[in-house]
Amino acid sequence: MADHTYQYRNKDRTVRLPYEKRKALYGYGFIALWLIGTIVFFLIPLISSLIYSFQEVNPQKGGAHGDWVGIRNYYEAFTKDPHYREYLLKVLKETAVNTPLILIFSLFIAVILNQKFRGRTFVRAVFFLPVIIASGPVYAVLTGDMDRTGTGGEQFSTMFETDMVTQLMNFTGVYGLNETLTQSIKNTIDNIFGLIWHSGIQILIFLAALQNIPPSAREAAQIEGATSWEYFWKITFPYVSPMIVANLIFTIIDSFIDSDNKVMQRIITIQHEWNYGLAAAMVWTYFVIIMAVIGLVFLIVNKHIYYEVD
Amino acid sequence: MITEKPVKETRKERRLKDERYRSLMTPQQLSYLRRKSITDKIWPVFRFLIIFGLCFVILDPIVFMISCAFRNQADMNDPTVLWIPRNVTLDVIKETAQAVNLSETLLNTIKINIGCSLIQVITTAVTGYGFARFRFRGKNILFIIVILMILVPPQIILLPQYDQFAKLGLINTAWTMYLPALTANGLRAGLMIFIFRQFFKGMPRELEDAAYLDGCGPMRTFLLIMMPNALSSFLTVFLFSVVWYWNDYYTCSSFFSTNKTFALMIKNIGPVLSSALFNDPSLQVSARELIVWTQAACLMSIAPMLVMYVCLQKHFTEGIERSGLVG
Repeated sequence: MADHTYQYRNKDRTVRLPYEKRKALYGYGFIALWLIGTIVFFLIPLISSLIYSFQEVNPQKGGAHGDWVGIRNYYEAFTKDPHYREYLLKVLKETAVNTPLILIFSLFIAVILNQKFRGRTFVRAVFFLPVIIASGPVYAVLTGDMDRTGTGGEQFSTMFETDMVTQLMNFTGVYGLNETLTQSIKNTIDNIFGLIWHSGIQILIFLAALQNIPPSAREAAQIEGATSWEYFWKITFPYVSPMIVANLIFTIIDSFIDSDNKVMQRIITIQHEWNYGLAAAMVWTYFVIIMAVIGLVFLIVNKHIYYEVD
Repeated sequence: MITEKPVKETRKERRLKDERYRSLMTPQQLSYLRRKSITDKIWPVFRFLIIFGLCFVILDPIVFMISCAFRNQADMNDPTVLWIPRNVTLDVIKETAQAVNLSETLLNTIKINIGCSLIQVITTAVTGYGFARFRFRGKNILFIIVILMILVPPQIILLPQYDQFAKLGLINTAWTMYLPALTANGLRAGLMIFIFRQFFKGMPRELEDAAYLDGCGPMRTFLLIMMPNALSSFLTVFLFSVVWYWNDYYTCSSFFSTNKTFALMIKNIGPVLSSALFNDPSLQVSARELIVWTQAACLMSIAPMLVMYVCLQKHFTEGIERSGLVG
């Protein structure tokens, strides 16, 4: 980086490079380190893993050696592997269910945390606490141990579900109306522990977006006599909608890439069996599916977003 | 000091004024005010209930962890003990510390963690600045690669990376973590570059133009003008990076064959404990009792993060607004 900036500065005295061109060279200088790293640690591994996926890979001393087998690995992943297809569907379904729930929940919490009340700082600190724990192995060990003693999240929510939710559903007349509806409400409540623990960053992002809403908007709404409900849909929602897209995509990626999900676990298991070709094929199909899902979601959602023009 | 009397008078006056205003209002305005005064009274109660319940769900596991770490194993079988242990003891902590090799593991984790985070924050900031402020050919394609870095699951590239490091003979050394960090390609580097780019884009151009006019080169402008202005967002990104590195076990487990970092230790906590503490077959420890030791290990591993979080909580929650991720 230092090399060519120096070189061109010397040249400057004889051949004056146009200002724009000189700035462009500085631009390359700033990203040079990253560029080298990306080629070595990202692009080359990316391409070689794509090549692996078409090969039968035999790990040897001094690097892997592969024989070309065409699309056999992909074929095997979908037809011969006992779990891959099943897990893939499961993860897709879970993501489809959990993502909207996490988004709604975190927006709701962010709106509450944005209001003024006593002890707000403490409550905020508590709600972001999962951010530092949930991404690590401690979370799995902790929840596992708590389940074993009967005080865990699952038991906690189950207790809650059987007693309160059934009564509440009976009361509102939802219970028994429709089997899938009843079941999905129950599943949601069952999952509440996981939802809370996985929406820390989303709450953080929404809260920051909420704080960017100009106070004048709130004042104007109040003068016009808007109820909080109307205020939420007419003011809050449009203002945070760009962040809803960001959060949506973040949540989808987060749940797909999570090393604890079934597909990832399966891929890791296969890697540990030294079957690299198959693992690479699996991870690539998985990646293509992720990209397709994100692209689709982005296309659908992006039309309905309000961007404030400066 | 305000005496009692004038206060009462003003209240009376206010009520009179209120009535006068109300007589001028339309029925819709009146009903709006009535509704508002009712919701203003009820909502705080609901809000308190919601917040209290959710805080309980979050804090319960942490209380459980701390309480388990300081109790005797016998308490696990005592149904009357829920949170407050009957026999408070430090023995479990001491035994676990020995089993996980506390000082060495901690030192190793901190070395890798702080080192990588610090290096990576600087390198990604430089890269982000390059993307934010300079126009050069191929910039859009290169930025797509940055987005790709966010999207590609690490599992795709870890295996070929392993081969590369194996060829260089770096497996099991900290270089496997340092080298990618040094070239802005470590853990979640794509996201960090993206955040910094957004942040620098949001800063006023006049700052740099003034520096250029005064004869400052781009590198010096970055170091002397932009860096000091970006300090708080540097801190936020650095803190998140520390958390990500601290919690990472997947990358570590590919490059290290021994349990060098705390995350790896916790991932394999069962075998680690049983080989260190319960090697003697005459010892009978039930799965329930084992929880005492695993929770002690968990507590040790996240205690530094908890302390950091409590001290720097403000920067976690407020820094992100200034980090440019939003808006």
